[in-house]
Amino acid sequence: MIPTLWVIATLTFFLMRAAPGGPFQSEREIPAAAKEQLLRQYGLDKPLAEQYVRFLVNAVRLDFGPSYKYPTQQVRDIILTSFPVSLELGLWALLFSLALGVPIGVLAASRQNTGFDYGAMASTLLGVSVPNFVLGPLLVLLFSLTLYWLPPALWITPADRILPVLTLSAIYLAYIARLTRGGMLETLKQDYIRTARAKGLPESRVIFGHAFKLGILPVVSYLGPAVARIVMGSIVIEQIFAIPGLGRHLVSAAFNRDYTLVLGIVIFYAGFLMVLNLLVDVAYAWLDPRVELA
Amino acid sequence: MNAPDKNRAQRFWLIAVLIAFELGLVVVACVGRRANTPGPASAKDYFGNVAPPRGQVFTFNNGAEPEHLDPAVMSGQPDGRVARLVFEGLVSSDPKTLAATPGQAYRWDLSDDRKTYTFHLRPGLQWADGQALTAQDFVWSWRRVLSPATGSRYANFLYPIKNAEAFNRGELADSSQVGVAAPDDSTFVVTLENPTAYFLEIAAFYTALPTPRHLVEKLGSNWESAHNLMGNGPFRIVEWRQKDRFVFVPNDRYWDRANVRLTKIVALPIEEVSTSTNLYKAGVLDWNPSGYVPKQVIPFIQKFKDFSGGPFHAVYFYSMVVTRKPFDNVWVRRALNYAIDREAIAKYVLKGTVRAWGNITPAGYTGYDAPAPLRYDPVQARECLAKAGYPGGKGFPKIEILFNTSEDNRRIAEAVQAMWKRELNLSVTLTNQEWASFQAATTARQYDVARRSWIGDYMDPNTFLDMWQTGNGNNRTGWGDPRYDALLRGATREPDTARRLAMLSQAEAILLADGPEIPIYHYTESSLIKPYVRGIYSTMLDVHPLTHVWIDHGGKDGDAVAAAPRAAPEAAPQAEGRP
Repeated sequence: MIPTLWVIATLTFFLMRAAPGGPFQSEREIPAAAKEQLLRQYGLDKPLAEQYVRFLVNAVRLDFGPSYKYPTQQVRDIILTSFPVSLELGLWALLFSLALGVPIGVLAASRQNTGFDYGAMASTLLGVSVPNFVLGPLLVLLFSLTLYWLPPALWITPADRILPVLTLSAIYLAYIARLTRGGMLETLKQDYIRTARAKGLPESRVIFGHAFKLGILPVVSYLGPAVARIVMGSIVIEQIFAIPGLGRHLVSAAFNRDYTLVLGIVIFYAGFLMVLNLLVDVAYAWLDPRVELA
Repeated sequence: MNAPDKNRAQRFWLIAVLIAFELGLVVVACVGRRANTPGPASAKDYFGNVAPPRGQVFTFNNGAEPEHLDPAVMSGQPDGRVARLVFEGLVSSDPKTLAATPGQAYRWDLSDDRKTYTFHLRPGLQWADGQALTAQDFVWSWRRVLSPATGSRYANFLYPIKNAEAFNRGELADSSQVGVAAPDDSTFVVTLENPTAYFLEIAAFYTALPTPRHLVEKLGSNWESAHNLMGNGPFRIVEWRQKDRFVFVPNDRYWDRANVRLTKIVALPIEEVSTSTNLYKAGVLDWNPSGYVPKQVIPFIQKFKDFSGGPFHAVYFYSMVVTRKPFDNVWVRRALNYAIDREAIAKYVLKGTVRAWGNITPAGYTGYDAPAPLRYDPVQARECLAKAGYPGGKGFPKIEILFNTSEDNRRIAEAVQAMWKRELNLSVTLTNQEWASFQAATTARQYDVARRSWIGDYMDPNTFLDMWQTGNGNNRTGWGDPRYDALLRGATREPDTARRLAMLSQAEAILLADGPEIPIYHYTESSLIKPYVRGIYSTMLDVHPLTHVWIDHGGKDGDAVAAAPRAAPEAAPQAEGRP
């Protein structure tokens, strides 16, 4: 894990420096004295190798210094205040997708080839294929600007959460519903289900008591990578809904050549993703019955 | 409820949700065309919801997250808007005309040679924490801006002050030689290098705002973090969450507290222009400032009464690097200028949202007689090109237009490309770069023709002409002309306004005839202000003092009490302005 992080950090460091312009590039000329002072202040007047070593030493201590664009803010503080927002958005979206996606999938499977099944599968197909930068503005247009029911953006009141969560969950909801349906259909064909039906159990017991546990497995394996992706913040949604999350920072930091902020966020993302992958692997081993038997 | 019923209920609910969720999209597509349908509490003449907020709470989009809160080092409009709420300079600006009005100084005198300003401060001025504010604070603050160690990006705003430039460049070590002094606690004297007609505008600019010495010296650069920040202006910050919001409440120690009616200001940092306009339509924002209305929707929105679209003090132009071939030839530059149909660009490419413009300086200067604008003349263009040695475009090298990535920039570049092809038979390629790369390329003069723009800092042609002097850092074309430089230097020293403006006009004529610039359009302001907001007006500089803004509830909610005539400043005689 450490070598991977080092490679990522090094690549990011040098790629950022290779990009034209710098953090103090501006449309207006900066007085020479001010520019020198700024470069000195951030150690950008030192040779690149020295800057790199200093960056590595500080990165080990998780100290990325102040952001170049927002010098009053430490990179660490920016990450610590904006990540919880992305996390909250992601968790709500995940919760909503599961709460709606799983029942839809189960119902569709238990009523295979009925109107409900066709309807559900057609709408989830739409959910998978409509990108969130189209869905978000459409929802805003309907619920905020035409009906005046919900706020069109921001992240202050509970009502503010609804539209971004809906937008972010659409694709996950659709996937989960389809995966649940597929898994359940597979399971419902099994012999032990026929047995359960034969002994006269009500259909609800058959589905929830017997088929559900096995049928939901594809969703569980999908959840691992999905969780990582969903809680890391969606750049598009944070931008459209003006949500103060981490995704928005990453994009603007790259455009601003905010070297320290970019490095801080990239290393944080990379580390977080690795930890999550590790957790998913552990969870797999724990959930998969075959592993348990071995 | 038995099982089948439960299933049915569940099924019904699911279907209902699905219909709302997915078929809703279809509905949206149909109503999309009627998106202007007013909200429940709105009149047809306005864009969206016009129900005023409860109480005197004002919410606006500040555009982006401010980089600095320290006025001495800041350099952006969002930063400036926050600074103008929290701090107040010697003079303030009239919200309608932006003329200097009394601020921390209630009166000022100008010497006969127009080089010495004496500001008389109000008695009993205080910082928001109760510390006394004196003329010494201004001396210290302005020296701090100019000190090379501060690294102020806008230090050059104070260069009209005697010895300021030398001190800022490090050529002069003694800060006491800079022309600022405080003979006593309530008198601040500024000595200028030359008579500077626009000096009061500079004094009102955010770089010239005072900073609290007691905090800066105690906390170092930490003083500008939001919870330490302390000003002398009408408001103070009570809450700041990055990329989320600023909340301001009135500063009870402000001298004109009695006339500050808002009880709370919320400033949101929204960069996305459609999001900002959506929030305005939904009634969350009371003010969507210029630049945050999507350009594509302006033709549709501008018919509403709450849209404001006056001229803005900025010009969009192309510049050419004159040290490169073929742009070193003045006839080539003229040919390229004559071949551009600005009217067509403004009318068809930009749908009439801007004004075609053939001058270097924008409109609106009193007493300034601008030279005749460049005009579209294809015949002349072809003649110029022949004179340059490329008759019919023969032998003309392939040239490139560089612009920063944006839909409008691309469409304009395409139009120009087509015009140069049609009129002059030139082959032109287009290249776009994202902002920082683009700035790096233009600064290094690594381009043929580049899209540029300039926003004036004060209402004087000098702010547009100064940058074209030989070697100026904002020139970025390698162009220079001793006649031009002499005229600008002469104008700076000239105390007579009419003669000074005449010299500037001559300079502009030289620039139009020989210069490296191809003016294209004059910017317009495009903002949205709710009808119940009082005290915000369209201004050329897009500067909007919010000190006396208030929410009009139509006589309800205690407005009548608040609307009592403004009290005269205590113990302070009326302002005189210039003698």
